[in-house]
This record gives sequence, structure tokens and C-alpha cells, in this order.
Amino acid sequence: MGATDFELEIQRVGQALADGLASKRGNPLKAIDDRAMELAAQDAELRAALFRFVDVVPACRSVDDLAAHLAGFLEHVHTPAPPLRAAMRMSDTKAGRVALGTAGAAGVRHMAHRFIVGEDPAAALPVLKRLWRQGIAASVDLLGEATVTAAEADRYAARCAGALDTLAAAYDEMREQPLLEADAIGPLPRANLSVKVSALTPLLRPEAPARGQRDAAPRLRELLRQAARLGAHLHIDMESLDSREAVLELVLDLLSEPEFVTGPSAGIVLQAYLRDSPQTLDTILDWARSIERRQPLVVRLVKGAYWDHEVVEARQHGWNVPVFERKADCDANFEELTTRLLEARPLVRVAIASHNLRSVAHAVARNRRLGGQDNDIEYQILRGLGDDLGHALVANGLRVRAYCPVGDLVAGMAYLVRRLLENTANESFLHEQATGVPLAQLLAAPGTEAS
Amino acid sequence: MSLALAPFANEPVLELRRATERAKLAVGLGELVLPVRVPVWIGSDRRSGDELVSTDPGRPERVVALAASATPEEAGAAVTAARAGFPSWDATPVEDRAAALLRAAAWMRERRASLAALAVRECAKPWAEADADVCEAIDFLEFYARGALELAAGAPLLQVAGERNELHYAPRGVCAVIAPWNFPFAIPTGMTAAALATGNTVVLKPAEQAPGCGLRVVEALRAGGVPAGAISLLPGEGDAGVALARHPDVATIAFTGSGPVGLELLRTAADVAPGARQLTRVIAEMGGKNCIIVDSDADLDEAIPAIVESAFGYAGQKCSAAARVLVHEALHDTLVQRLAGAVEGLQVGPADAFATDVPPVIEQAAQQRVQRYAAMAAEWGQLAVDAAQDVPAEGWYVAPIVATHLPADSPVLRDEIFGPLLTVEAVRDVDEACERVDELPVALTGGLFSRNPRTVRRVIARSPVGNLYVNRSTTGAMVGRQPFGGNRLSGTGTKAGGHDYLLHFVEPRVVTENTVRHGLVV
Repeated sequence: MGATDFELEIQRVGQALADGLASKRGNPLKAIDDRAMELAAQDAELRAALFRFVDVVPACRSVDDLAAHLAGFLEHVHTPAPPLRAAMRMSDTKAGRVALGTAGAAGVRHMAHRFIVGEDPAAALPVLKRLWRQGIAASVDLLGEATVTAAEADRYAARCAGALDTLAAAYDEMREQPLLEADAIGPLPRANLSVKVSALTPLLRPEAPARGQRDAAPRLRELLRQAARLGAHLHIDMESLDSREAVLELVLDLLSEPEFVTGPSAGIVLQAYLRDSPQTLDTILDWARSIERRQPLVVRLVKGAYWDHEVVEARQHGWNVPVFERKADCDANFEELTTRLLEARPLVRVAIASHNLRSVAHAVARNRRLGGQDNDIEYQILRGLGDDLGHALVANGLRVRAYCPVGDLVAGMAYLVRRLLENTANESFLHEQATGVPLAQLLAAPGTEAS
Repeated sequence: MSLALAPFANEPVLELRRATERAKLAVGLGELVLPVRVPVWIGSDRRSGDELVSTDPGRPERVVALAASATPEEAGAAVTAARAGFPSWDATPVEDRAAALLRAAAWMRERRASLAALAVRECAKPWAEADADVCEAIDFLEFYARGALELAAGAPLLQVAGERNELHYAPRGVCAVIAPWNFPFAIPTGMTAAALATGNTVVLKPAEQAPGCGLRVVEALRAGGVPAGAISLLPGEGDAGVALARHPDVATIAFTGSGPVGLELLRTAADVAPGARQLTRVIAEMGGKNCIIVDSDADLDEAIPAIVESAFGYAGQKCSAAARVLVHEALHDTLVQRLAGAVEGLQVGPADAFATDVPPVIEQAAQQRVQRYAAMAAEWGQLAVDAAQDVPAEGWYVAPIVATHLPADSPVLRDEIFGPLLTVEAVRDVDEACERVDELPVALTGGLFSRNPRTVRRVIARSPVGNLYVNRSTTGAMVGRQPFGGNRLSGTGTKAGGHDYLLHFVEPRVVTENTVRHGLVV
């Protein structure tokens, strides 16, 4: 069988997933029923204005203050659509500002509800239970302000501990979902929490990774112990390249400690947009080979969420840009890493976290080609953006986990802004899909044109 | 000779988030041979000596440089040599002068790690800042070389039939460069390169705390091909600087340092010395009392790390460092609490440790000065951070301090302390913050954290400072991107690393030639 056969297989899988999408509400951007999102996707200045507004909402002291900010941002849109001109005029009067500010705040809250499943883990349980019933597991991510003090790191760690307790107890009550609870390697934990090292220490320093590691280690160690006790999974998120060395070394070092030989299930993230991600995977696999752990490390393969940050930081310092600047190169690397991860089993467990239909279809097809079973891979989606894809994956008998932000709607804004920016950017898969790019093109191999 | 140059680009700092890059700097430190012997170096004469001893601020018994200390006679001899060297350097084509500066930049580029290591030892610059300092020195050489080439084209004038009008820029003559220790490569290199690029000859007096770094600057220039008659090195103390300033043959004084010294230089220069045939121009960059305004809509997640970096990076010993935070009363308590927590986490330690946030201050007198103000702040206000933090016993360490609730007339709010001491004041609104900034006699840098574009515009319009930073830290100006310099009593309003900086080192000369002969235009 040649490459062409394999390509055909990817197309078949992709078509099947797309059928699942079509049977739902269709267009994921339309699903975001705020018309602002559509407008924003078409107009970069308006998008900037709206995101700057979303970003500042939590800090505004009154609706008047909100309206003043909104009007200030809209001044930077050079050719405002008629509704915006009306909004700007409204900001000239007190009553107008109250109306505008109220509407703006309501709009933002409405959007936030799509992405944030609850103000705290307990409040999130109804959504998590519904997802479970629908055949979708979750990984909860606790949103909050940045950690700049030791007290804030302690508070975040305590919130994580509370979340583990709440989730473990709640998932214990749920009925069995065999697809979500085991793969070829063995049983899978139900409760699953994602944590950020930057929230577990204020001392992450790019030029001194050991410092943040040392400071975060006790807090993360406690969480690992607790996850082990509760039989929950703890996933450590990756952030910008500035902290990659610290995060990677911290996690691998802690999991090497004797007390964690038997558990918990834990995971790390590999960012395919980084040019040197293949070397990072070498490091991870070398470690996995050297260590005897009962539960293999879960590697969540993502594109990466800090693209703009990485490009700006590199340009400002005159460094080589560490991320792929062509989307096709990133997509091709994603597929190569997928293959390497799948071939490395059972050294690691593989989670594919992408909304790109091609990347997902490739993983499904590659896994089958390698003789794996469908339930050997976990497919991860973002709640609020990848919901339709999640359902399509479920309909195709695949194992799905939704990444679910939990926290104050206000404090979660910064998170929202980045996610929204990525997914309305011109090159994003969701944007292309929403704007009617033909399926054949969406499923074409990276860097090739569909014929 | 024509010189085809790529457009200016900043020298990239090391990507220290990568372990391989950090290792390069450790090699630089290993290769460093101490003490550095620094001569009084006038033309081709070198007089060695050890009257001046520079030591490691983190380990004062470690001698970094042993320097000769220039006598007033030597200062005079250096000026005489520079005056003698002037005609030929002035006559050197600008392309050749620029090429010499570019070769000096290349010399530094080849030695980045060892130069950075010397700044780590001599001035207790932490690695990232030491590396950035060397990069900035290279930037100045590259930037002013290009600037001099542009300036050589002169300026266009109106031309009318029968006459030809030309404006060209001539060097002023001998330039005395009096440099500080806090950017021990960048600032002396910058002032010197600007003078040399435009055809002046230079006597460089490095700070007495940093003669070793000063020597390297002159070595780079000499290695690049700047002739002995165009650059001399005059290590020494204040009296050497005074002798330079009083010398009738010094046409320009380029100074960066403290306000009192700068004002004294301006007074001295204004007093035309007997025998002087030229008014002495002073280019002075002095201190500030830099304020960061935080409005109620600021994102504290971003503001607090930026404030910490601005106030405590290099132990607050940058002219651009933040000294006062003026925060909207609605955010005051939260900001103080979070800021104090962030500052408590800072690591005070030696400059050669990558993990160090706050290195020692430059010398014992500086340590005592900061401690004096800290005591004043504790007596008249409140300290938000426990001042009794552990700091290494040996070396000129000061724990970082955040003070609040100070009376409006406190010297702590007015004087430039030049150390790791930050004050926080509550204000009713941004306008009151602007008024407090406006009351200050100095205006170097300023910061603003606000997410309202209208507020940003309002503060820009009201701000007197030379460099205003919006929603970022107030330090780290880059050559060509953030031309740097202060207004009011902070300086003479010049902008280092900007396109008009070189104009201060030249005098415009206009030639008008009558092209009419016997009623005919010829």
C-alpha cells in the first residue's frame, strides 16, 4: 500500500467526521451566536477593538466606565459599520453610556458562558455530567489571575486540590462509559485536572529555570500525591517557550521520584508549532524509556496557543522565531509527531488535541494503519469551540475529552481573549471551515493543494 | 571609498532561556583574567598604576581592576594630544571613520561573553543585563557609524539663481566623555562613538568604579583602527573630570551621571576659560525620579511584574528605573499587597548567579545611602516589605524595599535614591497623578498602565518626560527604537540612540558662493 492509499484513508475518515459535523448545527462560528464574532472575523481593526474590550471588562468599575472604554476602542476602527457608529454616538450621553455599557457587559458575559463551564468546580458539575452522558470526558482547567506572589501560588494549589476532591467524588457517581474508561494499556481515570506551573510559582525565570522548578515542586508534588490517592489524572499544561525547560524538567523529575512509580496517571503537552518539538519529544521518550512507571505518561499533542507571543518576543530580541511561520509546516510537523507518538506506545499514551479535521483524521488513520484500536487515542477539544467536532468524534466511536475552563467569568477573560483570537484568525481551521472552504481542501495533506 | 551597509538592526541579546546559551556566558567568566590593569593611555603613551582599585560589589575583596589615576596634568596632556590628533581625524573621510567604528563593533561582538563577564564582576550587572549592555555598545557603534554617513550629506537649502548654498556639519573639536558605571560599556561607547563618528577626537574618562570596562571600550576602538591621536583613556576620579571640564581646548563635554555633577559641569563650561576660543557645549544626561501611573483599569497581572522589573532590575541603578508608583485609590491596597508579595519573592544575590533578581549596589556609600532612605521611609511612612530580609553578609547588598503612606514633602518621594527602593502613593485619578509628575523638577522616564485609549492620549499630552512607556516596563530602551534621554533637570534634552543625537557633536557651517561673473551665471 502506498502513500496514496493512506491519503485516501485519511480522506475517508475525514469525510466521516465531516458528516458528523454536518448533521449537527454545521458551522462552528455560527454556533457562536454573537454576531460580533462574525463581524470580527472579517475586520482586523474591529477584532482588535472587541478583544481589547473583552480584556478590560473585568477591570471596569461601572457601566459608564465600560461604555467609555468601548467607545475609546471603537475610535480605532477606521470604517465602522453603521451599528458601531450608532454605538459611538451613544457614548456621548450618560444614558447612552449606561445602555451601551450594559449591552457590552452582557455580550461579553454571554460569550464567556460558552467557554467557561462554571464559576467553580461544583458549579461546573452539571455540564461535566452532561458531557459524560454524551460520551465525552473532561479535563478541568482552573482560570484565575496570574500568580505573582507565593500566597497566590498557594491559593491556586489549594483550588486545584479542592477541584480534585470535587471531581473525583462527582465522577465516582457517574455511570459507566466503557469507551472512556480504558485503552489497550489499561484503565483510565475518570477525573482529570489540567494545571499550569506558572500558577504554582511566581518564580519562573527564563534564564534560571531551576528557580521556578524548585519553588513549584512542593505544590505540584502534593497535587500528584492527592491525584494518586483519588485515582485522578493530573495534566501539566505547557505555556510559552520561556518556561518550557522549567516545566518539562519539573514534571519529569517529579514523576521520577520513587513515590510516584505506581501513580498517579499524569501528562504533559507537546507543542507542534515549535520547530524543535521533535527534540523535545526525544527528551520525553528517552525519559519514558529510562523510567519504570505503572501508568505511562500521557502526551497531549497540540499546535500551541502562544504563537503571537513567540513571534513577537523573538522579533523584538532579534532571535530566530522558534515557531513555524507557515501553517502548512506546523501541520506537517503535527502529523510527524503524531506518528512518532503512536509508534512509541506503550511507552506513552497519546492525546491528539486539535480542531483541524485533517490533523484529527490523519491521527485516526495512522493509528489504524499501525494496528492500533480506535480507543487507544484520546481526542481533545476545547469546550465552546470544538463542541461539534467532539460530537462527530463520538459518533464515529472515538474517545473524546473536552478541555473545560472553570472559574470566575471575569477572571477568565484573559483566557477567552487568546482563544478567540486564535480561532478567528484568518488561517485558523475553524475560520476556514466557517467561511466555506471546500472539504477536499480542508482535508488535503499539509502544503498540497487538493485536486 | 564607499561603504555599503545593511540597514541598522539591534544586536540580538543571548537567548538565555536556552541552556546552551547560558553555558556560553559561563565560559566567558572562566576566561576572565583579573585584575585588569588599566593605564592612563594618552596617544601611544601608557602609564600603569594602581592608585585606583575597582572591586566586585558582591565580593569586595576581589579586585577587578587596578588602574592608574590620572592627574590634572595628565588630563591636560590628554586634551593636548586630542587637539593635536584632531586635524587628521577630521580630515579622515567619513567612510573610513565609520568603518573603524564598525570594526570596533566586530571586535566587541567576538568578545561578547568575556566583556559581559567583566561587567558582571566590575559592576555587578546580572548576566542578562551585562549581555544587553555589551549589545547596546555594539548598537551605538553601528548606529552612529550609519548616522555619520547620512549627516555627511549635509542639509538641503533653498537655491536661487546666481548663488550656491551649502550646509555641512563640521566636528567641534576635542570632546571630553565623562561616563557612568551603570552601563559600563554602552554609555561610554555611545558617547565616544557619536563624537568620533562625526570627526571629533575624544578623551574618555570612565567612572572610577568601572575603569576595566572603560579600558575595553578604548581597546575596541583602537583595534578597529581609530588612531591613537583620536582616542585617549583617562581613568581617574572626580578631579580628572573637573580638569577636563575646565580645559580651554575642550569643545564638547558629553556626560552621563548624577544631577549635582552634571550641574557643576554646566557651570564650569559656562565660565569661558582664559585662552578658550570656543564655547563649551555640554551634553548631559542626569538623573530622574521616575513615576509609573497605574489607572483603575490597569491589568495588575501585567503591571506588577513590569513594575518589579522597572524598580528592582539591576537593584534600581538605572537612570530609567521606576522610583514611584502613583496608583488609582481603588486599586491601591490590592496593588500594594500583590506588589509586596512579588517583591518578597525576589532573590538578592551575586550578579553571576542566573537566579539573582537583585544584585548588590555598586559600593558601600550607595548601600549606606539606600539604607538611610529606607530608615527615613520606615520612620515617616510604612514599609510594605519586611526590610530585614536575609541578604548576603559580604558585599554591598540591600534588600528591596516598598514604602507607602509617605508625607508629600518626604525626601524619599523627591530625591533620586538610585537603589532598590520603590514608593507607592494613592491618587484620586490619573489627573492627580499627572499633577504630581508635573511638580517634579526632573523628567526622565515615566510609565502608564491603562487600557483606555483616551486616558493614554491624555497622559501623553500632559507628560513632560523624555521617555514615556505605556503598559510595559520603563527600562530597557533600545538604540534606534527608543531614543533615550530626559527633559527638565534630567538633562539637556538629547536622545542617545536617536537620529538627531549626532547633531550635538557638530557645528553647522554654511557656505554661499556667488556664481555670477560679469553678469553671467557661471
